[in-house]
Amino acid sequence: MAVKEKIVSRDFKEYVREVNPDVGLDESIKGLTPEKIEKTIKAVLGARTARIRAVLETCIHCGLCSKACQWYLSNDGDPSYAPVAKMRMTIWEMLKRDGKVDAEFIKQCARIVFTECNICHRCSMYCPYGLDVTFIIGLVRRVCFVLGVVPQRQMDQDHAHATTLNQVWLGQNDWLDTMQWQEEEVGAEYKDLRIPIDKEGAEVMWLPLGAEPKTGIYHIERTAKIMHAAGIDWTVPGKDVWDSSNMPMFLRDFATMQRIVRGLFDNAIRLRIKKMVLTE
Amino acid sequence: MNGSGNWDWDTKEKYVTDINELKKKFPSVRELVPSDDGEKIATTVRNEERRFTTCVNGETWEETFERIYSLKFNPAGQLISLALRDYEWSVIIDREMWEDKFDYIWNLTLSPDGKNIAVNINKDQMSAVCLNGNIWENTFFDARDVAMSPDGTRTASHVLTKRRAELDNVGFMKKNWTVAVDGNAWDNTFLNTWGAVFSHDGSHVAAVVRTDLVQYTIAIDGTPWEQTFGVVWEPIARPGSSEFVAPVQTPKGWTLAVNGKPIWGNFSQVWRQGFSNDGSKLAAVVAVSIGNWTIAVDGKPWNTVFNQIVATPVFSPDSKKIAVAVKHKNQWTIAVDGSPWSETFENAWNPVFSPGGDKVAVKAERNGKYFVVVNGKIGKKGYESLWDPAFSPDGNKLLIRCVDDGKYYRRVIPVNEI
Repeated sequence: MAVKEKIVSRDFKEYVREVNPDVGLDESIKGLTPEKIEKTIKAVLGARTARIRAVLETCIHCGLCSKACQWYLSNDGDPSYAPVAKMRMTIWEMLKRDGKVDAEFIKQCARIVFTECNICHRCSMYCPYGLDVTFIIGLVRRVCFVLGVVPQRQMDQDHAHATTLNQVWLGQNDWLDTMQWQEEEVGAEYKDLRIPIDKEGAEVMWLPLGAEPKTGIYHIERTAKIMHAAGIDWTVPGKDVWDSSNMPMFLRDFATMQRIVRGLFDNAIRLRIKKMVLTE
Repeated sequence: MNGSGNWDWDTKEKYVTDINELKKKFPSVRELVPSDDGEKIATTVRNEERRFTTCVNGETWEETFERIYSLKFNPAGQLISLALRDYEWSVIIDREMWEDKFDYIWNLTLSPDGKNIAVNINKDQMSAVCLNGNIWENTFFDARDVAMSPDGTRTASHVLTKRRAELDNVGFMKKNWTVAVDGNAWDNTFLNTWGAVFSHDGSHVAAVVRTDLVQYTIAIDGTPWEQTFGVVWEPIARPGSSEFVAPVQTPKGWTLAVNGKPIWGNFSQVWRQGFSNDGSKLAAVVAVSIGNWTIAVDGKPWNTVFNQIVATPVFSPDSKKIAVAVKHKNQWTIAVDGSPWSETFENAWNPVFSPGGDKVAVKAERNGKYFVVVNGKIGKKGYESLWDPAFSPDGNKLLIRCVDDGKYYRRVIPVNEI
């Protein structure tokens, strides 16, 4: 719960926010050292690729991106929510100080890039140069992720994906058991309604979001009914990866991102299905 | 009846069972599973009382179950399946159920000779592996995947050594996952681990391990390589040694590594690596640039690239050739040593070499029918269902396991008459 107490950035006095405790940010900065922070920033931002330089060296700070940002608009035009301000308060400061920033600064960055930007890319549409601002925000997220400074729930989802290849810590047995149980439940209403598992050569492989077999069971029932009524030759994979969500993308956990996408395509190739249908 | 040498290569056609009749008899008939020699065809059926049983060659077992899944024939022609009876799961070999019962079982794994059977099991909220009816002495808070030694006597799984608490990110960073071999967890633990595999002699196990949020490597018997990488794919064992080969991502690109040291040049991606039968050659799927996939053999890529899929490479028995299913511009075909067949298909499965290595056969789909294709020549007959073809030991005949006009047949066709 938000505490009615204000924090004021030491570096940017205009950045004033209510205190909103999150152990993912508050606790995880305790183990950081200036050396580790500097090394991480240089590792992530070190190779100034053309893509990074295109944004940082072209931006003229005109602020036209502001009107694209839902955070800016829904906070009465507070300029500290403007996309350009978010870059100024994070990556530009990291580069200006050559990576020599402290843990409190990293926490501030994490708060900005994880909780005050949705990575919707609208700002790029409003930028007169079409600069990819959210790519830069993503780089800062990468710095924070490598340092382990990520809001608690987002980090938990990333750990779940990395470990179980789904965002809800569902075991391999629970996934299969849930599909079989759902077929029994829905099957009572229909003569031959099935949720085929690992059916080779099926036309369609359905890949739900992780939450569906865990908390949105009725989605599975409805999907099965739709497939049945439409006469679609379909299947669900019996092996990892079946969860089509990719929460590690929001943290820029590149390794887990790759594992998820590769796993989905591995299942498609293994079963020689023709189309993947994903929940969204 | 192990090995194709003992199969019937003389009878041209055996009508085995009428699948359409089965569909009239039962409200639900599941996927068909033929034996390797094609003599048997099995499926799970559901009766009017909504209970399941197994049907082999049209003969239905009397006993019924709440659930049956994961049907597999072993090379000896025994049917292995996982079944739930009276709310207890167990493994069934033909009609005999293991004595031990579980809350759930999955990942049915057979040794190459089919004599050893392992599954992941869950019982009383603890997980492990059960090999031939014997549960590991130690159980874990979770177990994922079954790895089996080539001789089928040893098993491994990725296991959770401490119970996870909700949203406990601090606890996660204490590293609670490792590999258990025959039920004994490695001393070293990791953030997470996957891809466990045994050496050919079964005496070593390697797996991908995550040592830090962004550092991955291969651990052998619990000891990580000295070098870490951005990410690492699943290792395979080098024949005749205790070494393992794995794709690794370095700042220069993807390559293959042994003991942490790169052994190939760099690519945009490397995976699905495999050794030839004699162990002398190493092949892998590589992307020479983004969206340009091919096969590299001992680090040297084929000249031909494919823009969608290159599936798992298959070596000929004499280790001289490689064939692989590829998808290019929305069409599947087979490429042999870099040369794709001119015929393309809506779908193509993994190719099969003749014993002499001179012929390649594959199951492929065109216009909704399945065909046998040999060396790029499409068979005359399209089937409703078809399974991978198999060559006779002399390489002159093909075993065709197919459903034709609603009936399952075992056919033997001379290769030059397909």
